[in-house]
Amino acid sequence: MTEVTLDAQAWQGVEESVEALVDKWLVQPGDTVQAGQALANVVLVKSNLEVTAPAAGRVAQILVPAGSTFARGKPIVVLEAK
Amino acid sequence: MLARVVTAPQWRVWSYAAPAIVLGCSQRALRPTLEARVQGRLPVVGREAGGGAVLTGPWLLGLSLALPPAHAWLDGGLLPGYQRLGQLHVEVLQTLGVRARAAPPQERPSRQSRRDPDPLDWACFGGLSPWEVVDAQGRKLVGLAQRRRQTGVLLVAGTLLSAPDWRLLCEAMDRPDDAALLRQRTVSCEELLGRPLAAGTVHEGWARVLRQALE
Repeated sequence: MTEVTLDAQAWQGVEESVEALVDKWLVQPGDTVQAGQALANVVLVKSNLEVTAPAAGRVAQILVPAGSTFARGKPIVVLEAK
Repeated sequence: MLARVVTAPQWRVWSYAAPAIVLGCSQRALRPTLEARVQGRLPVVGREAGGGAVLTGPWLLGLSLALPPAHAWLDGGLLPGYQRLGQLHVEVLQTLGVRARAAPPQERPSRQSRRDPDPLDWACFGGLSPWEVVDAQGRKLVGLAQRRRQTGVLLVAGTLLSAPDWRLLCEAMDRPDDAALLRQRTVSCEELLGRPLAAGTVHEGWARVLRQALE
């Protein structure tokens, strides 16, 4: 299982208390994904960003629904290896 | 502008003949209610970037700047791109006689803490994000946002050339009492200069500075 979150680089310089918002899920549980595929769009500091799959796999669980926020480093989706 | 891989910086300027409301991507759910309320009198559109609602119209001049994914402006996270874009606006406005500055992240007003949400967080120009452009009194003049994809990054900015019809926006959003506060927190080039500033003049300034900055 691989937990996926927003790339740490996106959080550079952003206040510790600020959270990101899941704008839209581009995949659903059970979907097969390729490495680098965009899984979700998230919003941080007025920026709309992609969270991408680090490796090929299957979407096992979405941890943060669209419209909810998440803190720095918190996983938002779990992938399982194919 | 991000439909295909961006291989070199590209930019476009947007002016708006008539008013329209542009919702931020996280305001998507508001759209049906808003459209029902304005009943076609005012177009409502959504944008892919974040932030609050924007009222476009003749008072606003927009700039979209698409950069390749590995462009130097994008090193170090989200904020350096905002900083470069904000400072670029300051430079252009200064050449036109408008004194403004890009507000660093530490100037973020305390009113926008997460525990105490700001009453104007629904409006782009109601809040202040890192490196947005303000006047000496901290009133917002230029709003910034961005969209990052694997094909490139789109930095966008909106400059208030003249005072927007905040009442039109606030009534459409069913927040009529917020218009006065929006007027207090914003300022336009026309108000700072004491005379109108033509969109074409700003456009020429951007062209000159962008050519230098992106070479």
